[in-house]
Amino acid sequence: MFIYFLKVILQMVVINDKEEVEHVISVLRETREALETSDTFKLQKLSDQTIHSASIHQHTDFITLAVLIYSLSKILERKEKMNIARWSAYVKKINDELFKAMSELKKGDSEEFARHLEHTKELLISFSPNVRENVQEVIKRASINKASKIYEHGISLSRTAKLLGITQWELADYVGHSKTHEDPYATTVDEKKRAKIAREFLS
Amino acid sequence: MKALIFDSGPLINLSMNGLLQVLEKLKSSFQGKFLITSYVNQEVYEYPVQVQQFELGALRIKQLIKRGVIEYPDSLNIAAKELEHETRKLTNLANTSLRANEKSINIVSEAEMSCIALSKILERKNIKSIIVIDERTARILSEKPENLQRLMSARLHQKIIMITNNLKEFQGLSFIRSPELVYVAYKKGLIELDDSRALEALLYATKFKGAAISWEEINVLKKL
Repeated sequence: MFIYFLKVILQMVVINDKEEVEHVISVLRETREALETSDTFKLQKLSDQTIHSASIHQHTDFITLAVLIYSLSKILERKEKMNIARWSAYVKKINDELFKAMSELKKGDSEEFARHLEHTKELLISFSPNVRENVQEVIKRASINKASKIYEHGISLSRTAKLLGITQWELADYVGHSKTHEDPYATTVDEKKRAKIAREFLS
Repeated sequence: MKALIFDSGPLINLSMNGLLQVLEKLKSSFQGKFLITSYVNQEVYEYPVQVQQFELGALRIKQLIKRGVIEYPDSLNIAAKELEHETRKLTNLANTSLRANEKSINIVSEAEMSCIALSKILERKNIKSIIVIDERTARILSEKPENLQRLMSARLHQKIIMITNNLKEFQGLSFIRSPELVYVAYKKGLIELDDSRALEALLYATKFKGAAISWEEINVLKKL
């Protein structure tokens, strides 16, 4: 009986992982379409969807993907301002790389999938030397934005900073300006009582 | 003897706001110790000192450690091994307390858990302590874990299961945040800012540098 339940549990984990793989494949497919049609809104939505998975699974590839898609949405938003030369060639190169990532994931090769994601990130930065610094800044800001989203989902600040490879110093300011702390679930003790505890302890 | 245990957030917050001297003043009249763990030290000094943007802030915190305002747990004869063991135990418990789709969600890191571990060790030695923490997850986990379950279910749009047995270890702890810290400093006359808006300015500043406090709570503090 125990072995039967163990098998059921293991099967559920595998199915869930499979579902997650399917989800990522669909996100990659839709990202490519959104890039081709210059749909910024859709890219941001896809990035948010990926963050749900990233918050639960905390797999670095999901996080890289969420940061990548959000960065793409921001670059797309500012493409005129950033004056990226040969935009359509840029999109094609990125989409080719995303296609390769998608194919590797379908084959179940997660190492190659991760390598292509990293390559996409490198492409973003290196494609146009005149905007290299701007794109790096966009990626940095995207990492902080996605970190704040993961924190919003209930993961601690320190854990989130670690996941995104940033410091809490970078996150503190961003989170402080967001509405995250207005969530009623974050209020746990009456404020008068907490203030009293602080005053008495520090007297 | 009593102790105030600092997580990274409040130290980062006060450093970014140029308010670290408040700690020095609070300490001078405090019959106890201000403590940080090695995990917290990594986050407030060891990592940020390598980042140009945060090097100064990290050095300012280091200065407080050098001057003995902030100390390490060994100043109370707490063995690093004991703290490490307790930290790992609590991290494991916290990170297996909430599940989505049959999968445990890693919600905390060792830094936050090391503060809770230290508080529990001090309690066993009959030393009262309060944890100063600005981020919300570890605090909610201890004070009202069902809220964390609700928050995560709402944000992740799926059912989150809570393993309540794991959470007994997190109960009975006391927490304050950097806003309460500056509030006490203000009430004790330790803030050299001669303006009727000084308290609200201090509270706003700590909120904007990441303290998990709502506007409603700020308003309560302003009126006290």
